[in-house]
Amino acid sequence: MAAREVIGGRRFAKAAERYGIVAVVIVMMVFLALLQPEYFLSVQNLTNVLKQIAMNSLLAIGMFLVILTAGIDLSVGSILALAMMAVAMADKAGWPWPVVLLIGPGVGIIVGAINGLGLTLLRLPHPFIMTLGTLNAVRGLTNLISDGRPISGLSAPVRFLGSAQIPLPALGPFGAIPVSAFVLLVCYGGVALFLRKISVGRHIYAVGGNPQAARVSGISVDRILILVYVMSGFFAGLSALLLAGRTDSGFPNAGIGAELDAIAAVIIGGASFFGGRGTVLGVFSGVLIMGLLRNGLNLMNVSVFWQQLLIGIIIILAVYVDVLRRRAAVRTEELTQSRATHWLLRRRRDLDSRSTTT
Amino acid sequence: MRKMLLLAASVLGAVAFGASAAETVVVAMKGPGSGNPFWAAVQAGAEAKGKELGVNVVVVAPPQESDVQGQIALIEDQLAKKVTAIAIAPTDPNALAPVLEQAKKQGVGVVFIDTKGSNPGVTFIGTNNEVGAGLAADFICKNVPKGSEVAILQGIITQSTGQARAQGSKKGLTACGMKVVAEQPADWDTGKAQSVMENIITGHPNLKAVFASNDNMALGAVQALKSANMLAKVVVVGFDANPNAAASVLAGEMKATVAQNPKNMGGFGVENALNVKHGKKIAPVIDTGTVLVTKSNAAQYK
Repeated sequence: MAAREVIGGRRFAKAAERYGIVAVVIVMMVFLALLQPEYFLSVQNLTNVLKQIAMNSLLAIGMFLVILTAGIDLSVGSILALAMMAVAMADKAGWPWPVVLLIGPGVGIIVGAINGLGLTLLRLPHPFIMTLGTLNAVRGLTNLISDGRPISGLSAPVRFLGSAQIPLPALGPFGAIPVSAFVLLVCYGGVALFLRKISVGRHIYAVGGNPQAARVSGISVDRILILVYVMSGFFAGLSALLLAGRTDSGFPNAGIGAELDAIAAVIIGGASFFGGRGTVLGVFSGVLIMGLLRNGLNLMNVSVFWQQLLIGIIIILAVYVDVLRRRAAVRTEELTQSRATHWLLRRRRDLDSRSTTT
Repeated sequence: MRKMLLLAASVLGAVAFGASAAETVVVAMKGPGSGNPFWAAVQAGAEAKGKELGVNVVVVAPPQESDVQGQIALIEDQLAKKVTAIAIAPTDPNALAPVLEQAKKQGVGVVFIDTKGSNPGVTFIGTNNEVGAGLAADFICKNVPKGSEVAILQGIITQSTGQARAQGSKKGLTACGMKVVAEQPADWDTGKAQSVMENIITGHPNLKAVFASNDNMALGAVQALKSANMLAKVVVVGFDANPNAAASVLAGEMKATVAQNPKNMGGFGVENALNVKHGKKIAPVIDTGTVLVTKSNAAQYK
């Protein structure tokens, strides 16, 4: 009886850890609906929220993969700007739209690969340094190729992902779902499956949880690192397509400081800054919390300075809650072996037994 | 208990109804008013006009002038609140165009203030830079003898502001019989203006006056003239009336500058955004006026 209670309690604690953040989002939405009964739940406003979070959510999912390896990618805002300008310039130059669409993510992949290679080949001491370098270099390149000037008037197919809406007349005159919301859905679903079902995805957790153990157990840590920076760049390039469509232009100032918003969303969503821990659902919740906070405060005509203040406080609170949770977990000896370490130990054993048989 | 609830509900309803009955005009600035006297004046002008007309004025701005997406989100969120009209200084004319098209489609009155956007058919309310530069030229005409050698320092000449100020000053100076011996761009930059000015006075030692298209360049020109010991005999006039220039005018180094009228941008913006909403015809361009700033009135711009 007592044992069953303990198990029940543990199960509850696990559920709370996994879905607590979703509860925060729901509480926030209820709160905003009560504060702004006329507007918050209106179809137009909810569509606005979806459109507004699209960019940050793509940057955040890429950042999440990097942070899982205990890394950081400061260059995503600059990658966004470079990809956006490249897309706008190629479109203006009359390139066929399928090629133009590939340019956005393509630029991201290239810069991401440079980040990953710099980190692994040059053995720079921390990804902060490599990506701080590309943050500046790529922004400079953006200004060089564009001469600091914005470009506007993109072709319809290029704008599609970022600006098209699927009308839903059943929901009233403003009833529509932005196509960018589907892009999010596909990306988040894809990353969730990748992390859970594909062995390379699980290796990402392993590298972040304990790089030494990962190396010993035969995982190519360098390859995993290059992969996550390439993926982060890819998502930054994809978000450039969305933003270019949304604004019908490319402007070299795009994405200044966007990397910090992405990091904030990942951290608020409960991922560990030291790698190895975090969920896709958490990241999405983090993005939503930031988006809802901004939207709600805008609706209430609260100054943007308050938004900065509140987001700062929420980041600190979110991490503090995480600290408390970890402490509690250590007390109950629940987290003595995280899933990743557990998995690594098993793999190590397998390898050992294999080597002894030969 | 039920009675109290009913009462509370009816009060809430009345408040909500009362709030939505008045018209709301959004003034979207490029940056916050706090810490920036220009935007603070736009805000003050808008709020005063709102009081005068009996409409709600909501002033919004992204935290930085470079935060284009922030401004787009602000406009979207205000549109969801079914506001009446919007007067906006777009952080990026092209990037803001789609959301403003959406606003027009929704029946919201839209005007541009301070910076002209790219949406066709939308009135622009701001400084007529050509007229302002003309004021500066007049001042030079009155303060140096006819036929004197004068120079013009241009801003970035591909920008509309740079062109308008260059043209307005040249027109004024040639009209009153000045000899324009140099027209050179220094890209709004103090350091560049100093180098350009050094070259000009080397070639034209008899120079009597210089019009710089903004105050930063005027201050650069002052530096060049100072080190050549020529400041006493050359009249320097700038544009913008920024605090440094006002101090320079008070100290007698620069002789004059030209002030924009951001208060009018806010006030005219609110008024005309409502006019657009109510279907009144307004001019495609509305000048908010410029003021010549000399030693007598420079103190208020410091």
